[in-house]
Amino acid sequence: MGVPYVPIVGLVGTDLLKRRDDMVIAVDPFDGKTKSVVAKALRPDVAIFHVQVADRHGNVSCGYDAEVVMLAEASKHVIITAERIVDQLTEKEATGAFIPAIQVDAVAHAPFGAHPAGFAGLYDPDRIHMREYVLASKDDAAFEAYLRKYVQNVKNHDQYVEQAVPLEWRVPPRATGS
Amino acid sequence: MKYSDAELLAVLLSREVRDGEISACGALSQIPAAGMLLAQALHAPNAELIIQNSILTPFSTTKPFHYLAQRGELGLFFVSGVQIDRYGNYNLHQIGPDPERPQMRFPGGYGGGMIYYAAHRTVVFRTEHTRRSFVETVDYISAAGSTPPDVLRRGHPSKVVTPKANFRFDKEDGVLQLDSVHPGYTLDDIRDSTGFDLGTNPVSTTPAPSVEELEVLRHVIRRKMMDTGTYAEWARKSLGDEATRAA
Repeated sequence: MGVPYVPIVGLVGTDLLKRRDDMVIAVDPFDGKTKSVVAKALRPDVAIFHVQVADRHGNVSCGYDAEVVMLAEASKHVIITAERIVDQLTEKEATGAFIPAIQVDAVAHAPFGAHPAGFAGLYDPDRIHMREYVLASKDDAAFEAYLRKYVQNVKNHDQYVEQAVPLEWRVPPRATGS
Repeated sequence: MKYSDAELLAVLLSREVRDGEISACGALSQIPAAGMLLAQALHAPNAELIIQNSILTPFSTTKPFHYLAQRGELGLFFVSGVQIDRYGNYNLHQIGPDPERPQMRFPGGYGGGMIYYAAHRTVVFRTEHTRRSFVETVDYISAAGSTPPDVLRRGHPSKVVTPKANFRFDKEDGVLQLDSVHPGYTLDDIRDSTGFDLGTNPVSTTPAPSVEELEVLRHVIRRKMMDTGTYAEWARKSLGDEATRAA
């Protein structure tokens, strides 16, 4: 939208409002009396999110309907990870939300990029891995061990997929490129 | 007829739905979903229903739903909270006396902090009626029951429904008042399981779910939820007596 702030209905009297310095209560400038929360515009430096298909120019077919279009518009830079990369993608071919290349700075090919979460229509959440994550998140030492295993000691995405995505999910081998 | 807590709540929530109005529930709301469908089958054939995360919603994202509510078109919303307090505040964020060091964290309020103010009426439901869920003041206010009169607000909580009793929200005083006690419970039971003063309202006995309400819920609504993938597993397991479930 590019506006500095927007009025919103609600949130007055909540503890959330107390903890946010980017939301304040303001008077309606037109009627001079009604109060509502106004929220400062979010302007992220970088947005990173995962989609179904992208082309080499940065056109994106999300594969789901979502508010990521707004996120892409609001952010100064947009990095996309995609299950598949194709040569050329038009809005007509898109499933779900379409984001044109003009909004996108970079695209990376990352099959199973949503893992251990699921991706609508492609794969379900990895419940075994999720359980491991939840157990690990109960104390700092266990969580650090999790991070070492799945983030710090992993060279790149391919190695992560090799190590963390169940083998039967990867067979038959997923096509790379188009 | 015997009934489960889930069936009782679904029936009680269905009675809150008005014909011709738009009613909605959130993303993990099997009981209100059943209740709304029951209302539509019984007394509110022209009710419009928005059941998030199912095929029974006209929207594929939440934005248009929020805008609809903001415009004042949402008549009734159903919400639940981990804690509910005397002042109609509910907590979906965290438990513990020190907000900086919560003992437990929950998913958070999501859109409730806005819909609670935008829907004309909100019915709060809770499957557990105990002193840990019904407290004098919640540990964290995710949405507030009352706001000063000069604040933009289109509606208020109207009722709180539990497996034991109904409370009515008194807008003038900004507090919940015990309204009716469900069959099988006494006033003392409610006092023992509620962490705040029950108020001075005359209290009646809630009319028990009728045979018609239960039969339609157990057969028509259960089947509809299973066929439309609307909390299908929950409906299969939670609605109906043993004979129905075995069939």
